[in-house]
Amino acid sequence: MTPFDLREPTSIKEALGLLNAEDSSVRPVGGGTALMLMMKAGVFRPTRLVSLRKVGGRFSGIKAAGDGSLTIGAMTPLAAIEHSAEVARAAPVITRTMPRLSNVRVRNVATIGGALAHGDPHMDLPPVLLALGATVTIVSPKGERSLAVEDLLTGYYETALAKDELIAEVHVPAQAGRRSAYLKFTAGSAEDWPAVGVAVSLEADRDTIRSATVVASAATSKATRLKSAEAALNGARLDDKALASAGEAGAQEAEVISDVRGSAPYKRELIRVHIGRAVRQAMATNGAH
Amino acid sequence: MATTTIPGGTIGSQIGRSLPRLEARDKVSGRAEYTHNLRLPGMLHGKIFRSTIAHGRIKSIDTSAAKKMPGVFGVYTAEDVRKVIPNPYYGPAFHDQPILAMDKVRFVGEPVAVVLAADPHAAEAAVQEITAEYEELPAVYDEIEALNSKVYVHDELKPAGTFADLKHLTGRKQTNVALDFKLRRGDVEKGFEKAAQVFEHTFRTQKVLHLAFEPFVSIGDAKRDAVTIYTSSQGPSFVRTEIARLLGLPENRVRIRVPYLGGGYGSKLYIKLEALVTALSLLARRPVKISLTMEECFYQITKHPCTFRIKSGVDKEGRIIARKCEVFWNGGAYADVGPRVTQKSGFTASGPYDIENVHVDSYALYTNVTPAGALRGFGIPQLVWSYESHTDMVARALKMDPVEFRRKNILKKGAAQATGTPVKHAPLEAILDRVASRLNWGKPFDKGTGPVKRGRGLAIAIKAVIAPTTSVAVLNVTADGSPILYCGTVDMGQGSDTAMAQIVGEVLNVPAESVRVVPRDTDVTPYDMGTLGSRSLFHMGHAVRIAAEECRAKIEALRKELGEPEGSNIPVADLFKKKYGMQAGNIVGSGTYKPDYIPPQPGTGLTTNVAPFWMVAGAGAEVEVDTETGKVIVTRLINVVDCGKPVNPKIVETQISGATLMQLGFTMFEKMHIDGGQVTNASLADYKIPGIMDVPAVMENEAIDTVQPNGPFGAKGVGETATFCCGPAIANAIDDACGVRITELPLNAEAVYRAIRAQQKTPLEDE
Amino acid sequence: MAARTISFTLNGEAVSAEVANHHTILEVLRNEFALYGARESCGQGLCGCCTVIVNGTAVSGCLYLAAFADGAEVTTVEHLDADGRLDPVQEAFIEQGAFQCGFCTPGFILMTKQLLERHPDPDDDQIKHYLSGNLCRCAAYPEIIKAVKSAAKKRAVAR
Repeated sequence: MTPFDLREPTSIKEALGLLNAEDSSVRPVGGGTALMLMMKAGVFRPTRLVSLRKVGGRFSGIKAAGDGSLTIGAMTPLAAIEHSAEVARAAPVITRTMPRLSNVRVRNVATIGGALAHGDPHMDLPPVLLALGATVTIVSPKGERSLAVEDLLTGYYETALAKDELIAEVHVPAQAGRRSAYLKFTAGSAEDWPAVGVAVSLEADRDTIRSATVVASAATSKATRLKSAEAALNGARLDDKALASAGEAGAQEAEVISDVRGSAPYKRELIRVHIGRAVRQAMATNGAH
Repeated sequence: MATTTIPGGTIGSQIGRSLPRLEARDKVSGRAEYTHNLRLPGMLHGKIFRSTIAHGRIKSIDTSAAKKMPGVFGVYTAEDVRKVIPNPYYGPAFHDQPILAMDKVRFVGEPVAVVLAADPHAAEAAVQEITAEYEELPAVYDEIEALNSKVYVHDELKPAGTFADLKHLTGRKQTNVALDFKLRRGDVEKGFEKAAQVFEHTFRTQKVLHLAFEPFVSIGDAKRDAVTIYTSSQGPSFVRTEIARLLGLPENRVRIRVPYLGGGYGSKLYIKLEALVTALSLLARRPVKISLTMEECFYQITKHPCTFRIKSGVDKEGRIIARKCEVFWNGGAYADVGPRVTQKSGFTASGPYDIENVHVDSYALYTNVTPAGALRGFGIPQLVWSYESHTDMVARALKMDPVEFRRKNILKKGAAQATGTPVKHAPLEAILDRVASRLNWGKPFDKGTGPVKRGRGLAIAIKAVIAPTTSVAVLNVTADGSPILYCGTVDMGQGSDTAMAQIVGEVLNVPAESVRVVPRDTDVTPYDMGTLGSRSLFHMGHAVRIAAEECRAKIEALRKELGEPEGSNIPVADLFKKKYGMQAGNIVGSGTYKPDYIPPQPGTGLTTNVAPFWMVAGAGAEVEVDTETGKVIVTRLINVVDCGKPVNPKIVETQISGATLMQLGFTMFEKMHIDGGQVTNASLADYKIPGIMDVPAVMENEAIDTVQPNGPFGAKGVGETATFCCGPAIANAIDDACGVRITELPLNAEAVYRAIRAQQKTPLEDE
Repeated sequence: MAARTISFTLNGEAVSAEVANHHTILEVLRNEFALYGARESCGQGLCGCCTVIVNGTAVSGCLYLAAFADGAEVTTVEHLDADGRLDPVQEAFIEQGAFQCGFCTPGFILMTKQLLERHPDPDDDQIKHYLSGNLCRCAAYPEIIKAVKSAAKKRAVAR
């Protein structure tokens, strides 16, 4: 790594003042686990890093509202989310995802805001949050805006964030009555980055599926909703035929890329199979998600 | 034998003790010495500028901007190296590898220039400012292509002269063949004519990496007429000889120091960074350390990819009567030890079977990729992958039980192996029986239901240990009776220091814990050929035994000289006191061991003594195949090996289990992806190795109860043995589970899924 | 522009160091304090060789900027036998032969200590999940699992 300026602002205002809308070599840093990799590999050489670890306030902490929704400060470490009783109650799929998300040390340091802002399609949390219908609150010198996670993620390591914008909070809407699952398939060792991730969230009316959200990640350039799979599921009864046609629709719709973890045609097959498996797993969760 | 426990250890019966490693406390407390941790006063750090193309002539290298960067001490290219080492080519088999690229680059990642700075970050930043212009040449990557290609990696072959079987290649041009080993037994063509059926298959293995966790690191501290190198090396004696040759110095002016190694597995043999840090230290007149990043390790040395065409003729009774083996080794841009892998593995390319007519052609080939060397098995795992997959395919085609087919053809005790050497102390049948019995072979087996199918498979293998090689040891019994052992075997985790101490303890009847094993330092530790090929326990073990026996004899003589009665148990310290009047003196013994060996005849490869011992192994696997994704879970992995009498049973078990788990990675998913000569997954993020979640639910490790009569206390090496059979046992189990045959490693989910789809006649489209 | 003084508690002692912004805690431990138990291998936080404990939780020292250690409590493997006695986890690793080359061992030991603080009597699944971010190229995993269980027993007895 090469030398850079490192700032640790203690307020949102100060933090925003240190960013630069025009300069991509100035970047905010949360836990830094992902950014450090890019810096060590020499693919990112910052002139200034703005650490958010001392900003505090709305950037930290987990709040559960009476309606079952969650507000999570962007700088909340993943480990805090993993062990949060509120999260386990409001959105247990997040809790279930954590033990296989990277590793303990990364979870101790990495933050939920960083996981979203990095735009890395291989990460586990973005597809889960997308499937849960989560939104983010974004602050900038111009003010504040809210954006669905679905709209935040725009491409391969690309997000809708301007260079002087920060994610302040992540909101997970109330999940009452919804059931969710996230499956990842690793092509290398068990703790490899996923070749394919599939997150689903749905409502079950006995064995009829309603209001399904189906998200593919890792095989695609960003966590992406597969709306044709959702259409195939909605109103369908849980059986092999419905799952096969949803899998088929999702596999056709997904824009899959080849890499060292598998060819595009193979990953398409994985999406096909994992949509059905994720739906079955979601349906099998007890009514409270 | 009765044993007594005293503070500091047990007296009596040191062989067979599961003693924790001597250095265990240092390792668990983070204080074990590794070259990685070492710093010298005034030391500079070097960072390497590497070739971005696979093959080309260097037109120019511009280091001017790098030299102006803050904190840079200097920037060096091959031109500078030549000022201190006029002929800067090295290598164990061929003097083909330049210290920095000269005139040409031959693989992506080849070192072209080095920046030195006191701050490694400054050196790293300056490397980014170096540019090079190349005249790009066509490149050859595949071993089969390289055989007949008009692209030549080297203009002229330059054998090192140390190996007789390479001399005929001197000066040869317009070839990529760095060795062609031939074995001819009987008449293979006549055998095929007589055969009832003939089977031919081709197998391939991929390029994989040792990936020792202590990345390559060396420190050179060179003065005009004396050089000290601190290095993470498996072969300090070779490094000394080669550095002395490069510098034109006598060996006693070159000192190689090697603390513990953070893993080696065959990667840290011969010259790696040692010549480079020596040259740079001479140029800079300062100590120079180069410590590679994990990414850079992908450009240092790898395992050999290999293509193996195997053809077998079988008679009506299911006896293999003829076998032809054509093996093509992808050696990369520099030969390293590839020609030795090619020849030595060639001895057993036809497998552990008694076959009348055998024909082996084994070729070492140059290509434009990272050089390949030895990796825990010296080529044997690649061969076993092929011949044991083939064995099952033939058995299935003959509708014979794979175990019965093996039993019918296995080398029986005393039978002559393909080279003509009788197989002694190689309990192949016993191992096959143990594996089959552990698998409950012949009994019903749950083949699974739904999309998940279950299967089981096995494999057996044989290796001839590399010969002839020499080890020397010195033992010094100090004035208080505590022994100091000087031996050049490098403890890279295999526990050699502990095993050698146990041998000393056994001979002198002292606790192994009381033996000090001196860290490798060529100024004091005598010659050893190298820590490789599972040779150390046998060869160095004998040298240590002989040294200790000499000490014991001298102690006995001293006892006599001092008038002590026969059988007196007077402590050694008291003998010295009696002799010298105070705590003084010492007794020194030395041992040299080199086994008998008859070199194979040129052209036929035949000899009646190819190796002092055989390594034999068997493995069994049970798998679950998810036929909807191709994912294979190995649920049970059995390894049965022969290591003679285990000196330290606990360490033996860890070696068996560690070796097979490493091979599990090479079998299931490890692969260097190469595109246009460029490694596209050069990091641990993208090149995955087995983790704790990949360990099969059931692992069974067995060393069968035998002794190696010509080994030290009945022992022989075991570091590689459990790597041999893992791959084909799993491939055979996959075939048993779902009827598909994979002929190329790794057996990753996509490969299995594609095979299943092809079998269903709905092949999955390519990219 | 790129240097600062940080003050922190290292293995129970108050210390300070001049660090550059681009230095990791790992580099500072090695270069300023001659602590080599944490070491860089993969450089990507995947192998766990660089594990250090910051404010009671394990981090990858190779990805953790030294500047962020300002005011923190930092513990390395060297602290475990500060009183001259090995930690039960270290004893268990020796007794079970849970390493070969030893390069990854300090990381495994620190992570095991963290694991046992969270799960004093862990089952195989908990052990595997917790240690899945530590790699051992010698693959002493079966012995490591045994060592973790043995360490759990030792700790239970000590209490």
